[in-house]
Amino acid sequence: MPDLPKKKVGIVACSGEELSEGTVTRLAALKVLEQLRPADTVTICLPLFLAGGKGDRAFARFYPTVAVDGCDKRCAARATEMYSGKPAASVVVSDLVAEDGMGQPEGKRRLNDAGQQAVEATAERVADLVDMLLGKTAGQRAETFTELAEASEPEEAVQATCACGSGIPIQEVAVDGRVVTLIALPLIFQQFHQAGKMPGEETARELLEVVKIYNPILQEEEEDYAKTLRREYAAFSEKEEVLA
Amino acid sequence: MSEGRRKVVIVPCSGIGKTYGTVSREAAYEVTEDMRPAEAQLVALSLLVLGDEEARAAVAGSPAVTIDGCKLACATKMVEESGGTVARDFAVLDVYRRHRQFKPKGIAELNEAGHELARVLAEEIVAVVDSLSRDNGGENA
Repeated sequence: MPDLPKKKVGIVACSGEELSEGTVTRLAALKVLEQLRPADTVTICLPLFLAGGKGDRAFARFYPTVAVDGCDKRCAARATEMYSGKPAASVVVSDLVAEDGMGQPEGKRRLNDAGQQAVEATAERVADLVDMLLGKTAGQRAETFTELAEASEPEEAVQATCACGSGIPIQEVAVDGRVVTLIALPLIFQQFHQAGKMPGEETARELLEVVKIYNPILQEEEEDYAKTLRREYAAFSEKEEVLA
Repeated sequence: MSEGRRKVVIVPCSGIGKTYGTVSREAAYEVTEDMRPAEAQLVALSLLVLGDEEARAAVAGSPAVTIDGCKLACATKMVEESGGTVARDFAVLDVYRRHRQFKPKGIAELNEAGHELARVLAEEIVAVVDSLSRDNGGENA
């Protein structure tokens, strides 16, 4: 049975190459992705919201996202909101540096000590936000860490989970005469089909509950969505039967 | 560089998940900070994504050299989307295919081969920058 993607937190760094703080965002994001929270995080390149496809643009609607910006232009936070979805949380390195009274990060290619300190502080802040968004307590985090430590090969480096090009599976459907994009719908249909769920009213209700996990649906629109899901799932099942 | 003449814009990939992104960035820094600081300027992709006016004006008013870290070619697409003209698009993977002795590794910190690959790429970019500057009446011709 296909698994729906595990709920993770998306990290979007501005990566601004013209500022030292941009380098801080990139290295801090990488530290969270590879070292601090490798099992709970995924990333995407900011430009893919424009240069990629609809699946890429669904990123911040699928994953609760932490935007990591170098300066108050807040390219990552603002562009994520404009093209994908409102970030669940945001960190601005220049603010963090000022708040914590750190020295000024310098060196775009090779950060000075203050820059390295800013990387550590930013990564810690982002990791805390990841825990908060996933509702993980310190105790749960300690258990997960123990499990990971026991399960992983210590000599193998963990690679950042990069979502570039993978996209989030989406499907466009008509709901009460308007076209909407539903995130994860192809996988949900596949999962239901492989579980032997037959098209019908009851299945449509079950589908609606799962679809609502990944897509905001207003209560007053639920009936329309249920009708759409019933129709689309029937079409999906018919197609699968023909292919079988 | 003569007064009023615009610099060639260098736009590297902003990827953080792959080593080729790091190579593209390192090559861009080599060109804009070390080899041709007076003739080339770096423009960050994030600013183009946001539609920053200054960044858009820079790519709209000057020829651009893009350096992409993967086949999605974000840098090239974003320059075109921002109204710029891509004078030359480099793909790090293509450069690596021509110089397989330099296998890059590492993202936060490139290995020596990665730095070598970035230097080779930077030299290729400089040739393009010089050619564009020559067309524009520059001194590095």
